[in-house]
Amino acid sequence: MRAVMGILDPLAGTLLWAGHQIGLEDRLRFGYMPEERGLYPQMRVTAQLVYFARLHGMAGSTAHARAEAWLERLELDGREEDRVVALSHGNQQRVQLAAALVHEPDLLVLDEPFAGLDPSAVDVLSGVLRDVASEGRAILFSSHQLDLVERLCNRIVILDRGKVLASGTLAELRARVPQRLRVQVDTARDWSSKLAGVRVLRKDGDGVLFDLGPGSNTRPILRAATEAGNLQFYGFESGGLIELYRELVAP
Amino acid sequence: MIRPRVVGLVASREITERLSGRATWTVTGLTTLLAVGLIVVPALINQQSGPTRVGLVGPQAQALTPALARAAHAASLSIATTPVASTSDARDELTPQRSPGSGGRLARLFGGSDAQLDVALAFDGSSATILAYQTVPPTILALVHSVLDATHQRSVLSAAGVPTSTITSSLTPVPLNAQTIQSTPRNRAGLNIAALASAFLLMYAVTGFGGLVATGVAQEKTTRTAELLISAVPPSELMTGKVLGIGLVGLGMMTVTVGAALIANAFVKSAAIPPELGPLLPQVLLWFVLGFTLYAFAFAAAGAMVARQEEVQSVAMPFAAVLVVALLLVYATIAFPDSPWIRLLSFLPPLAPMLMPARSFLGSADGWEVALAVGIELFAIAGTVRLTARIYQRALVRGGARLSWSQAIRLGGGARPD
Repeated sequence: MRAVMGILDPLAGTLLWAGHQIGLEDRLRFGYMPEERGLYPQMRVTAQLVYFARLHGMAGSTAHARAEAWLERLELDGREEDRVVALSHGNQQRVQLAAALVHEPDLLVLDEPFAGLDPSAVDVLSGVLRDVASEGRAILFSSHQLDLVERLCNRIVILDRGKVLASGTLAELRARVPQRLRVQVDTARDWSSKLAGVRVLRKDGDGVLFDLGPGSNTRPILRAATEAGNLQFYGFESGGLIELYRELVAP
Repeated sequence: MIRPRVVGLVASREITERLSGRATWTVTGLTTLLAVGLIVVPALINQQSGPTRVGLVGPQAQALTPALARAAHAASLSIATTPVASTSDARDELTPQRSPGSGGRLARLFGGSDAQLDVALAFDGSSATILAYQTVPPTILALVHSVLDATHQRSVLSAAGVPTSTITSSLTPVPLNAQTIQSTPRNRAGLNIAALASAFLLMYAVTGFGGLVATGVAQEKTTRTAELLISAVPPSELMTGKVLGIGLVGLGMMTVTVGAALIANAFVKSAAIPPELGPLLPQVLLWFVLGFTLYAFAFAAAGAMVARQEEVQSVAMPFAAVLVVALLLVYATIAFPDSPWIRLLSFLPPLAPMLMPARSFLGSADGWEVALAVGIELFAIAGTVRLTARIYQRALVRGGARLSWSQAIRLGGGARPD
């Protein structure tokens, strides 16, 4: 992300936007929210947004109008003349987002935008990102909150130490996670070890977790379980991004 | 590639921020007060320096009044004689009043005296005494001595029966003309002070406002605002805008201070401003701007290298040290304006902004020398801007740790498409 914004030079490869290498002209049409937040602490909110908008080439009057609009959209109206340092952490975060959006960028690069936000701020930010995306702007954001990633993203890339471990749509990534079956029986007897054709992933206090390959037959498992005792739980565990991430990053 | 619009935006943000802060106004107010005070207070102290007041005790001394007046006039001394009845009266009038009289307290506060007399002359038979509270001014001593001499010779010759006309003609002094070798004497002291003053002003501007540039850059780096900026503004534009904005604020503040000092001086006439200064002012201003620019960019690089804002001082220390050396060399320039070493050193970019105007003040710099030094300085500034921009970019990437100067220069030297 920092390479896209011109802060770092890529160690290898090239960064393309619309088919050509990214330059200053392109970056003026990008919006950026760094992971470590950065605003002038002593500057007033509106003045700060207008400044960043104008640095990106916007005319003064337009910049003012856009700043006002975004402050309202991010529920910061009434705080326009406050110094940034006087705002709460959550509100500073909103101003930071407004600074990334104020010049109406074609590409929005957000580094951990949800980190440290309270649930209502997460809802506001999610809504804004959906709106911006529906206007046809591209959004690239990084997050460790994978539930949010599942809810918001069209395409997902899982990175570990600079290497791409997986990439694709949510459905494509989900398909890569094997199905898991959890069965719990009220018995102390070992009923699962001798079953043929299935692999036991682990046994714990919540029963037995089976790893099912494509087209696996689950009937022998159910039969063995009911013979062993009273069935307490029988269900598939969703193979979401969290599972995939665990599998890819820490095998 | 510098876009004036962006540089202007960055500069105007700096100006707005500095002018909206209380610190700028407080510092301007205090320095102006200090400058005006330094001019007005000595003037108040020196207000007492009218004619030397000479008390003449008894008729024998008072008879010398016309002779003393003539001699003082011939020697361009300003004295005022007053008759005093007795020696004890003279002692009283020479002693500063202990009782708080009107104006006496103020005069004592500034080290002046509120005594009625400066010296008194009394006769005791044939010997005379000059009485003073602490010291007898040597000029007055010499003056009285010559008058007493002439009076004594006159009375001895008169007693010996020499005709009055002969006495008078023999005691009439030979005409004496005062002549100097240089036809229009340069106000050397005034010009020395001007050379030092302009060096001090530059030092003040660089450490004060250059320091603001450094802390401003360090603040942007440590608050990560720089990451946001650098995606839209190349470091060279960012630095130029910052130096321009803070430089203009600094120039404005110093204009207020220096202007107030000059107005105060016009009122109290504390220091005589040498007329030679006038034509040199544009050159002094030019060197001031060049010197400030060079050092401000160097300070900006220092600000980019720190990990925490508190480190700015120590990283910028080498530049402050160079400034001190330059200032000391101004003293050397005053002592040896024509030394070949001073001449050589005055072309070095870090020293030129102080040494060249000093040499010009002292009349030892030729026009071509100044022009050449200005050219070298401009070249050095351009190089510093490039180096600072690279250090800024590289130091930003390193984010956390503080860089050493050798690291920074190595990084700065590395090729990178701007």
